[in-house]
Amino acid sequence: MEFQLPDFDLRVMMPEIFLFLWALVVITFDLSTKRRSGAAVAYLAMFGLVITGILLAVAGTGAGFGAMFFNDAASIFFKVIFLGAAFMAIGSSFGLLRQKIQHHRGEFFGLILLSTVGMMFLASSNELLSLYIGLELTTIPLFVCAAFFKDNRLSVEAGIKYLIIGAFSSALLLYGLSLLYGLSGTTDLLQMRINIATTHLNFREIGMLPMISVIMLVAGLGFKLALPPFHQWAPDVYEGSPTPIAAFLSVGSKAAGLIAFAKIMINGLQVFYDQVMAPSDWGILVAVIASAAMIWGNVAAIRQANIKRMLAYSSIAQAGYIMIGMVALNELGMAAVSFYMFTYLFANMGAFAVVAIFEDTTGSTQISSYNGLAKTSPFHAASMSVFLLSLAGIPPLAGFFAKYYVFASAIKMAGAADDKSWLYWLVGVGLLTSVFALYYYANIIKTMYFTTDESPYRLSVASPGSAMVLIGLIGVLLFGLYPTPILEFAAGIPEALGVVVP
Amino acid sequence: MVPIHAYLMLAMILFGIGAFGVLVSRNVIVMFMSVELMLNAANLVLIAFSRALGVVDGHVFVFLVLAVAAAEAAVGLAMIITIYRNRETINIDRYNLLKW
Amino acid sequence: MDWLTPLIFAPLVGAIILAFVPSKQTETIKGVALIIAIITFILSLFVYAQFDKLGAGMQLTVNVPWITSLGIHYHLGIDGISLLLIVLTTVLTILAILSSWRSITEGVKGFFVSMLILTSGMIGVFCALDLFLFYIFWEVMLIPMYFLIGIWGGPRRVYAAIKFVLFTMFGSLLMLVAILYLYFQYHSFAGVYTFDMLKLMQMPIAINPQHWLFVAFALAFAIKVPLWPFHTWLPDAHVQAPTAGSVILAGVLLKMGTYGFIRIAMPMFPDATATFVPYIAILSVIAIIYGALVSMVQKDIKSLVAFSSVSHMGFVMLGLFALNQEAVQGAVIQMINHGISTGALFLLVGMIYERRHTRLIAEFGGLGKVMPVFSAFFMIVMLSSIGLPFTNGFVGEFLILLGAFKANVWYGVFAATGVILAACYMLWMYQRVVFGKVTNPENEKLTDINWRERIILIPLVVLIFFIGIYPTPLFERTEPAVRQVIAHIEQTRQAKQDLERIDERTLALREGAGLSQKVTEKGVTR
Repeated sequence: MEFQLPDFDLRVMMPEIFLFLWALVVITFDLSTKRRSGAAVAYLAMFGLVITGILLAVAGTGAGFGAMFFNDAASIFFKVIFLGAAFMAIGSSFGLLRQKIQHHRGEFFGLILLSTVGMMFLASSNELLSLYIGLELTTIPLFVCAAFFKDNRLSVEAGIKYLIIGAFSSALLLYGLSLLYGLSGTTDLLQMRINIATTHLNFREIGMLPMISVIMLVAGLGFKLALPPFHQWAPDVYEGSPTPIAAFLSVGSKAAGLIAFAKIMINGLQVFYDQVMAPSDWGILVAVIASAAMIWGNVAAIRQANIKRMLAYSSIAQAGYIMIGMVALNELGMAAVSFYMFTYLFANMGAFAVVAIFEDTTGSTQISSYNGLAKTSPFHAASMSVFLLSLAGIPPLAGFFAKYYVFASAIKMAGAADDKSWLYWLVGVGLLTSVFALYYYANIIKTMYFTTDESPYRLSVASPGSAMVLIGLIGVLLFGLYPTPILEFAAGIPEALGVVVP
Repeated sequence: MVPIHAYLMLAMILFGIGAFGVLVSRNVIVMFMSVELMLNAANLVLIAFSRALGVVDGHVFVFLVLAVAAAEAAVGLAMIITIYRNRETINIDRYNLLKW
Repeated sequence: MDWLTPLIFAPLVGAIILAFVPSKQTETIKGVALIIAIITFILSLFVYAQFDKLGAGMQLTVNVPWITSLGIHYHLGIDGISLLLIVLTTVLTILAILSSWRSITEGVKGFFVSMLILTSGMIGVFCALDLFLFYIFWEVMLIPMYFLIGIWGGPRRVYAAIKFVLFTMFGSLLMLVAILYLYFQYHSFAGVYTFDMLKLMQMPIAINPQHWLFVAFALAFAIKVPLWPFHTWLPDAHVQAPTAGSVILAGVLLKMGTYGFIRIAMPMFPDATATFVPYIAILSVIAIIYGALVSMVQKDIKSLVAFSSVSHMGFVMLGLFALNQEAVQGAVIQMINHGISTGALFLLVGMIYERRHTRLIAEFGGLGKVMPVFSAFFMIVMLSSIGLPFTNGFVGEFLILLGAFKANVWYGVFAATGVILAACYMLWMYQRVVFGKVTNPENEKLTDINWRERIILIPLVVLIFFIGIYPTPLFERTEPAVRQVIAHIEQTRQAKQDLERIDERTLALREGAGLSQKVTEKGVTR
């Protein structure tokens, strides 16, 4: 028997390979300067991300490694989000370099880059094996990053909690994947779709297995996305870990979880979406989880006194809104999810950038210490308000279009099929909880503005962190007023994921 | 030949023990070992199916899972040592500075 | 030539310019804001001049694709109703800015930037003909108003600001869902995605969804109006807001609710409108009487004016839902009148508050002796608010009552008691504040209103008498628009009834044919 290497195409993998090597370069650079690299190492990492972005544009679409590695509209879109999240996370960690991270600067940024490589692999994988590897490469560096302040009790505690939860959820996911492999006889997602479609009647004989598999997958991915009832880790980890890492977790890691969810559940298991497959259909299951996320996330966020915890609960709620688009499985649904994630990148990273600057200047993450900030730091207070209002979905900011698009996809699906009218309820929950959300977002604006006191703190405008705030601000305003190019690009994503419109 | 159901049942029991261990145990190292048990349950399923289907991708999968598990253990144990230095305990209930 | 775009965006551009003026130079900021408001007013006069008063339908339209992939257009256009509201907005903006000249001392820049953004949003709402655009302008106003109340408001401003935002947001989210439903419904009807109000109006909607859609829109608008029992945010917001905020809130923001009814809810869902007429009419009558009774027991002048707004807006709603030419036209005129007279009342209250830092009726008395000019202005505005003949209030209320009597005698009877009650609470308040001896020694030193304050009040008084004596220009411009709205509602309902009748007839014919067929079949089997 003659062994033949599968057709591999390095061109489509160029960005990942480059970024992986660049991560090593960053670590080596820090070592070679005898750990005195200072801010240069951060600039080096950001430069690498920019180059990767350019390479991504050059590489274009295509398949490599015998269809194990795909570059399509969906993966490119999400890769841009990952790169943006990493860029803004690194950009807002300059304050840490001055005080908290005196040593191991190279590892800090190198691990962020490695995690980004993992996310990018994940977005391109079309197959269970590489998907699992990508997911692990995403999370393992982040365990270390979360616990990076190894003398800080909170940070280490956050790290260990994230580690246990992350490992546990990976195990759940892997068990689900292994069952799925057995049921379909393949690890390739497209082949799986075909196999399941042709032989899915046989599953009935296997009995409980498809149901267990779907539940395990939803639970495993639910942990990654911090959806209730698997969300308790998120506030703790966000509060304890370094703020830029919390930001990266909330955007990058969430986007990675979403694309993994979309790959497995939509590309592979769309058959299981329908109620024909009850009780193993995942549509209703995810809808229930999403509404729980919206209700619990928004209600719990109201009573938080720590801004990082508040943002954690708000991100749980935002994940709920995103999942509305995911369950509305039509030609708008995944496009809405992607667009939502894109606007979330700017709004949430921007908000975290302000929190990071504030924490570096004052050492506090309490909401009450933002009192009267508008008087001393008008730029940061105004930007924070814009980000929060965008998260709340107030037009004409980008977050409004995202929410609008998600609701539109659900209403369209609900109107198209009679057995999907429960989507109206989901939209109803989404709307009602949006009002709660506005309450706690407005509460922070109130703290900053509606007081006669003057804040004792003054945040500096001329810093890399403030540049990140500015990027976020431009993104939120620009894509609010003119979202057309992003919408048009996102419109191709459902097709790339093989969504079949009923 | 042992039917595939037997392997699946064994894997499910192993997985159940592992999940139970993670949820009930208060010792971080025991929790971590339980996670490894869960991963091995998944490995068993992969191997069993791979043999039943007569293809090798399951075997390949298992090797990679083992490698990942090793990496995870390396990071995990390092972090457990760090937190032990910090707190001098490995009881998860004592890690209560952040509200669980 | 596109006149509406510069009109909408002039204040916004002004706000951006203002943002670059150093915050220390407060006088420059005020001056720039005033100049921008005057430019906006002049632009609105140009629009007024361009408007063809005989032409029916939308005028000065602009229609440019904005977000093509979703079928969203930048579609503007005005008819007589929106024209008058736009002019009202620009006039009140100038006066509101003038009234804040001395009373705003903290955060001057933020205040005027918010005011100008708010103006852009308000004009945009009255111009938008694309539902999506309408929604965006509708929401854009929310945030500046939140800041105006929350930063420059009274002691309970935080509570009032959050309540205002949450109430409005709740309503507008319901509206958003209804808009989305319409959007997809139109796609399955005509095969195109559009938010164009004029196109959506042509679409027949089944009666059941029509009810739901009407309720969703009506809730959003009723909260804004505010119709009883959704009015609870209003006293808080009005009382806590700074004078300029109250003027804009009462003068323009409340009109958006009624404008929404006449522009969107009524013509788009004619059958549902017919179904809900009795309910909304009863709620309006309750609002009229409740508002008046609650006004009577208020101790604070500003909350008295706030509750009187509930009563007056009840009149407007009653007029709209009487669904005949007189009442609807009266309601439109009354929208303008309420903006003028309540705006003026809030300005007057603001002026004495600036002097005494209290608004309690019991603290005053005998102001007529120390502030004669003020008292004269106060008298005129109060009489206009009551609806005395030869003031603007009379024209609107008279027409509304006339139409209401035509529609249903009982609505008219109960609403008329509202007029009497209005006279009671207003005159009683006036008597306690202005007449009698100066009992409180602090009132003796009060100075009469200065030239700036007179300049603010004179235009409003002129408008009060002008509309009261010669309302023809307003009637001329609103008449075609109102006629068209009513005709559209009637026609759509008529067409539908005809269709149903035809359906019934064909059904009957078919049944008849079926019967005969059965007979023949029986015959065959026999």
